[in-house]
Amino acid sequence: MRLYEYEGIDIFESVGIPVPRRGVAETTEDALIIAGEIGYPVVLKAQVLVGGRGLAGGVKTATTPEELEEISGTLFNFEIKGLPVRKLMVCEKADILRELYMGITVDGFSGKPVVVVSTEGGAHIEETARTSPDKIASFYCDPTFGFYPFQARMLLRRLGLSERLLTFCADVLVRLYRVFSQFDALIAEINPMVILKTGYQGGLLAVDSVIEIDNSALSRIQYPLPQMTERIENPLERKGREIGVTYVDLGGDIGIIASGAGLGMATMDIIGQRLRPANFLETGGGITEELLYKCMELVIMKVNLRAIFINIYGGINPIHEGARGVVRYIRDHNVTLPIVAKALGNHQEETWEIFRSGGVHVVTEAPTEIAVDRLFELVGKK
Amino acid sequence: MSILIDDKTRVIVQGITGKIGSTQTRWMLKYGTTVVGGVTPGKGGNTVEDLPVFDSVEEAVQETGANASVFFVPAPFVLDAFYETADAGIKLIVVVPEHIPVHDVIKMRAYALEKEVLALGPTTPGILVPGKGKMGIMPGSLFSPGRVGIISRSGTLSYEFAGILSEKDIGQSAVVGMGADSVILTNLPDILKLFEADDETDAVIIVGEVGGMQEEKAAEFIANGMTKPVASYIAGRFSPEGKCMGHAGAIVRGSAGTVESKCEALKASGAEILKSPIEVIDWTIKNDIH
Repeated sequence: MRLYEYEGIDIFESVGIPVPRRGVAETTEDALIIAGEIGYPVVLKAQVLVGGRGLAGGVKTATTPEELEEISGTLFNFEIKGLPVRKLMVCEKADILRELYMGITVDGFSGKPVVVVSTEGGAHIEETARTSPDKIASFYCDPTFGFYPFQARMLLRRLGLSERLLTFCADVLVRLYRVFSQFDALIAEINPMVILKTGYQGGLLAVDSVIEIDNSALSRIQYPLPQMTERIENPLERKGREIGVTYVDLGGDIGIIASGAGLGMATMDIIGQRLRPANFLETGGGITEELLYKCMELVIMKVNLRAIFINIYGGINPIHEGARGVVRYIRDHNVTLPIVAKALGNHQEETWEIFRSGGVHVVTEAPTEIAVDRLFELVGKK
Repeated sequence: MSILIDDKTRVIVQGITGKIGSTQTRWMLKYGTTVVGGVTPGKGGNTVEDLPVFDSVEEAVQETGANASVFFVPAPFVLDAFYETADAGIKLIVVVPEHIPVHDVIKMRAYALEKEVLALGPTTPGILVPGKGKMGIMPGSLFSPGRVGIISRSGTLSYEFAGILSEKDIGQSAVVGMGADSVILTNLPDILKLFEADDETDAVIIVGEVGGMQEEKAAEFIANGMTKPVASYIAGRFSPEGKCMGHAGAIVRGSAGTVESKCEALKASGAEILKSPIEVIDWTIKNDIH
């Protein structure tokens, strides 16, 4: 689950990382009140869960209330990469001397947390990584050992940091690791970590946050977090999350239900060569009669649907139970859309029989391509 | 000798008293696997499928001579069970459950390396050696004995490839689910190494997916150390891009992770790229693989 910038900054503050004075506004009136308390100039930052916000025009400085009203009005009517702006963070404007980058993520291949720092913080950090790798330093941690101040200092010394700045930045980096670890983060990032012209707050200020929490760990985090489902803008995707499947809304008109992400993606790739998938739906290993009933309900909610393609395997999943859910849905709602199902593995014969009793077109060969040919015969071209 | 599972493999099932654990134990036994017992803390002394259930892995090892374990343990308890199993001296662990926190997986991985445990998963269908046995959830009816190795990130796609091959009477030497998570316990190149060294395997199929850099690293291994023919299918060509936030991942990975990056790397290493799973049939004909 991705957190909004303001939520991440609250978390940073809770572990003692220096952060700016700020408030969250849902209206221009709120923003004016917050700015009045902080004092001008203030920075207005659109709260959206997508990268590249600054370059897209979602961050502006206001020096007077009049200017704030104008900017706030514009930002609240703004969409960034298709996402509406519902909240603004209003914060004090930092007196910037330099900008650093600090980020921690998990490196998938080595299976280790990797701490990345750079002297060139800001929106262009990925470009810096490509063009000036000497300005980036990284350290792979032993996950059972953790990350200690001496390691942070060694890392930061490689960027040329020294004296008080070295120890202060090392302290922040270790606190960031604490966030990474305690919040089961997939990423915890401060970009930029501002070095101020004055000594205020020790001379450092984390003016931005990126935190993504591992969905598999949400239930064990000892901190009040928002509900995952509230974060999902698309109503169909939200319903998918509620019933416990992965659903991605797509532009086409062929519904897909698959057991397993890889099989789902392959199904989409094969269908996508000739037809347009309406969605990606992956059940995971928890198929029951009830779950597939709800999957049918969800897939059919998509308007202009022309057919449904079911691709499931009986390994961990009792697909015969799943088939009962599909057929029960067909009967309850008099579904007349063509439905093609390929179902193999444990209980396959029983599954085929149940599907056929509901009028589903069953394909018994292994290749998904053959089942998609059948689908194509039934629905024709795009 | 087949890889991972052979005549000496004695399997315990952790979480054997659960619904999935007991059902899958029945399927594993039916397939001919030497399952010798199970573990569920607090349920010691019971039996499942006529097999003894123990409170601890240590006891199970002492009483049954078990040397391999397959997990059907609920995700929040897997880290603890993994440490326990490695400490009891078991050297092959298959972690079937999905939704295990990544921060647990990285600890398990570090511990497995330290204890020289070969572990697969999480989110893996396990291992199946046709005709010999299976650890995990693969549906036995789709597999047949032969000389093609399959390694897959996706469970159900490994069944798809085995099913396509078996329909054409092309059998498999072993099918290994490496696990679908972003961090896995044994990386793809290390599994490839087992197939390269296996005298019962003539060729290998890698079934990958968009994301991560396992396939790119596998390409490095193929270029430098693989003599057997390799074919690869990478799923996710039409997958919508995620709305990426933060930069740390991109800085660490560089350009790796896309279907294009994986296919290019594998092609350059000499592997054949399959654009669609069914093309595997032509590949076997072209390379005279039976």
